[in-house]
Amino acid sequence: MKKITLALAGNANVGKSVIFNYLTGLHQHIGNWPGKTIEKAEGTLHHKGYTIDVIDLPGIYSLSTFSIEELISRKYIVEEKPDVVINVIDATNLERNMYFTLQLIELGRPIIIALNQMDLAKKKGICIDIKKLQKFLGVPIVPVIATQGEGIHELVHEAITLVEKGYKKPKIEYGKEVEKEVQKLTKSLNKIELGYPKRFLAIKLIEGDKEIRKLIKEIDPHIIKITEKYAKNIERIHGHDRFTIIASERYKIANEIAKDYISIGSCKAKYSDKLHEITTHGLWGYLIMIFSVLSLFYIIFTFGNFFSDILIESFMSLQTIFEQYFGTEIVSSLAWGVIEGLIAGITIVLPYILPFYIILGLLEDSGYISRIAFLMDKFMHKIGLHGKAFIPLMLGYGCNVPACLGCRIMETQREKLIAIFVTTLIPCAAVTTVILGLVGKYVGLVWALSLYIINLMIVFILGRIAFKVLPGEPTELIMEMHDYRIPHLKTVIKQAWFRIKDFIYIAFPLIIVCSFLIKVLDVTNLSVSIENIMKPITVGWLGLPVFTGIALIAGIPRKELTLIILAAHGGTTNFSAVLSPVQMIVFSLVTMLYIPCIATIAALIKEIGWKKAIFITVFEIVFAIFVGGIMFRLLML
Amino acid sequence: MNNPIFLVNLKEGEKAIIVSIRGGAGVTQRLTDMGLTPDTEITVIKSAFFGPIEVSVRGSKLAIGRGIAAKILVKVKE
Repeated sequence: MKKITLALAGNANVGKSVIFNYLTGLHQHIGNWPGKTIEKAEGTLHHKGYTIDVIDLPGIYSLSTFSIEELISRKYIVEEKPDVVINVIDATNLERNMYFTLQLIELGRPIIIALNQMDLAKKKGICIDIKKLQKFLGVPIVPVIATQGEGIHELVHEAITLVEKGYKKPKIEYGKEVEKEVQKLTKSLNKIELGYPKRFLAIKLIEGDKEIRKLIKEIDPHIIKITEKYAKNIERIHGHDRFTIIASERYKIANEIAKDYISIGSCKAKYSDKLHEITTHGLWGYLIMIFSVLSLFYIIFTFGNFFSDILIESFMSLQTIFEQYFGTEIVSSLAWGVIEGLIAGITIVLPYILPFYIILGLLEDSGYISRIAFLMDKFMHKIGLHGKAFIPLMLGYGCNVPACLGCRIMETQREKLIAIFVTTLIPCAAVTTVILGLVGKYVGLVWALSLYIINLMIVFILGRIAFKVLPGEPTELIMEMHDYRIPHLKTVIKQAWFRIKDFIYIAFPLIIVCSFLIKVLDVTNLSVSIENIMKPITVGWLGLPVFTGIALIAGIPRKELTLIILAAHGGTTNFSAVLSPVQMIVFSLVTMLYIPCIATIAALIKEIGWKKAIFITVFEIVFAIFVGGIMFRLLML
Repeated sequence: MNNPIFLVNLKEGEKAIIVSIRGGAGVTQRLTDMGLTPDTEITVIKSAFFGPIEVSVRGSKLAIGRGIAAKILVKVKE
C-alpha cells in the first residue's frame, strides 16, 4: 500500500476544518501536539490504492514565530516533510491569504492551493483568473466550495498527481534590493544542513527570526555577522525595520497578485455588510448582544430543564429495578452510587451542555462571536484581557472544563492565567441547576438573577485584582472579522463534540470515582462526623443548617450533587421546609463560588500546573466562605 | 501632504496611508503580518470614544485595540 501525507495549512476561518471533515469523514483522531496544548487533528482516507494521512495544521496568518501555532506548523512542515501541503485560501480575501501562501512556498514542500469559498466570491462579484494565477505562482490551484463538498475530489486527485509526477519548486522574487541580499546570503548558507530550504533560512535571518538565528549561530556565528551587514544595508535603503521590510515585500507581491488576477464586478451593499454594521453599532450592537445572550440562556435552560426532568425520571425508574434485583445492601448501594454518578453526568451533558455548545458554535461559525468580542473588548480590558477572552468565558456557562482549555486562544501565559482564573468563577450549567432549583424555585427568579449579577461583579473585581497583581503588559486585540456567513452545521457539531469530549474524558471518570466516595461516606455514617467538624463554618459563620456540610462536600465532584444530597440529608425535596430563603441564597452563592469542581481542577492542573491550580482552588474556597458569611449578615439586617 | 497623526485620532470613514508603527517588536510583527505595512491604505470604519477601532485594510476588516491604534502613525489621504 502506497502512503501519502497531506497537511492542510491556511489562515483562520477559511474553511480548513470543513475540508478536513470532507476528506477524512469519521476516520479522524484529535490529540495534542507533543508537549503543547494545541489541538492536532489527524485523519485517513483511501483513494486509488493510496492510504492518505491528512493533518489539519492550526489556522495562522504567518510563519514567523510569534505564536506557538506558527512555530508548530513550521516545524511540522520542515521536519515531518508532508508529501503535499494543501494551502486552503479564502477566495474573497486573496491578498491577505497570499501573504501566507508566499511563505509556504518558501518552505519548499510541494503545494496545492485550495481556492475555497468560490461561491461567496461569485456573489461578491469577484472573478479570479485561476489559470494565470496558477502560472504566476507555479502551484496547482483547485477551486473549492468546501461547504458543499465541491472540488474536494479534485483536490485529492491533484495531490496524487503531484506526488506521482513530481513538483517543480516555484521561485518568486522580491524587490531588487532585498532580492540581492537574499541571494547573497543564500549562497553563504551553502554548507548549512538544517532541513530548511536555504532561501527560506536566508529570508528568515534577514527578517530577524530568533529561532533560525539561534540555530545558525550554533553552527556558524560568522553568518550572523554577514546577515547583520546585509540587513542593515536594507534597513538603510528602506528606512524601516527588517521585519517590516520583508513583510512589506511579501504584501507587495500579494497586492500585485490581487490587482492582476482579480476583476471585481458590480458590488452593491450586501445583506451581510448591513448585519455587520448593526451588530457592531455603539447602541444597537450592545442591545442585540444582550438580547441574544439572554435568549440563548433562556432557551437552553427552559429546554434543558424540561429534557433533564424526563431523563432523570426515566433513570430513577431504573433505580427501582436495580434495587429489586440487587437489594439495598451496602455493596449494591455503593454500586448504585457509581451508576448514579454516570447518570448525573449524562443529565447535565445532554440537556444543557450539548445544545448550549451547538448554538454557541453556530454563532461562532457565522461570525457573530467575533462581533461580540469586538463589543466586549473595552470591558475585558478592565481585567487585563482583550475581547477574544469573551469566548472561553461564554463556554464557562456551559462547563468550566472546555472553557479552561478554551483559554489557550490567549496570546501570553499571563493572559491565559487570568482568563482561566475568571473562567473558574463562572457558574456552569450544573451550578445553574442548583441556583434555579433552590433560589429560582423557592425565593424568586429576581433573586436568582441577582446572584448572577453578583457573580459578574465578583468576576470583574477579582479579575481586576489579578490583572494588577500579575506582572506584565497586557496584549491588545488584533482580530480579523470575517464576513457573516451561514454556519456549516457539520463543522459546528464536530466542534461541539470535541469540546464535550474534554468534559467526558476528564470529568466523567473523576465524577464516578467521587460519587462512589461520597456514597462510602454516607453508608459508613462518616458524613455525620464531617458535618460536625464543619459546624463552625456552616452553622457559625454561614448560618446554614448542620446537614448542609456534607452537601457542600458533595459539590466537589459535581456541583449539582449538592441538591441531591441536600434532599437526602434534609429528609425532603421541599427545600422550603428545611431552609429559609436567606439560607438558600447563601447556600447557592457559596456553591457558585467555593471550588472549581474536581474535573475543573484536573483541567487546571493540565493547563497551568498543579501549584497554580491548588492556589486557585484554595483561594476560591476561602473566598466563597468569606463572601457567603458577609451575604448572610447583610441579608439578616 | 499634512503631518502624520496616529490612527486612533482618525475619524470614521477617513482614509489614510500607514507611515510607520511605533511599537515594540512583537506588536509591529503582528500588525505587519496582518498586512499593516508602511504605504498601505487603511480606512477607519468604526471608532467610538472607547473600545477597539475597526479598520478595513487589504480588503478585510480588522478590530484593533485602541492602545495599538495609538502606535500606528498614518498620513490622512486628502
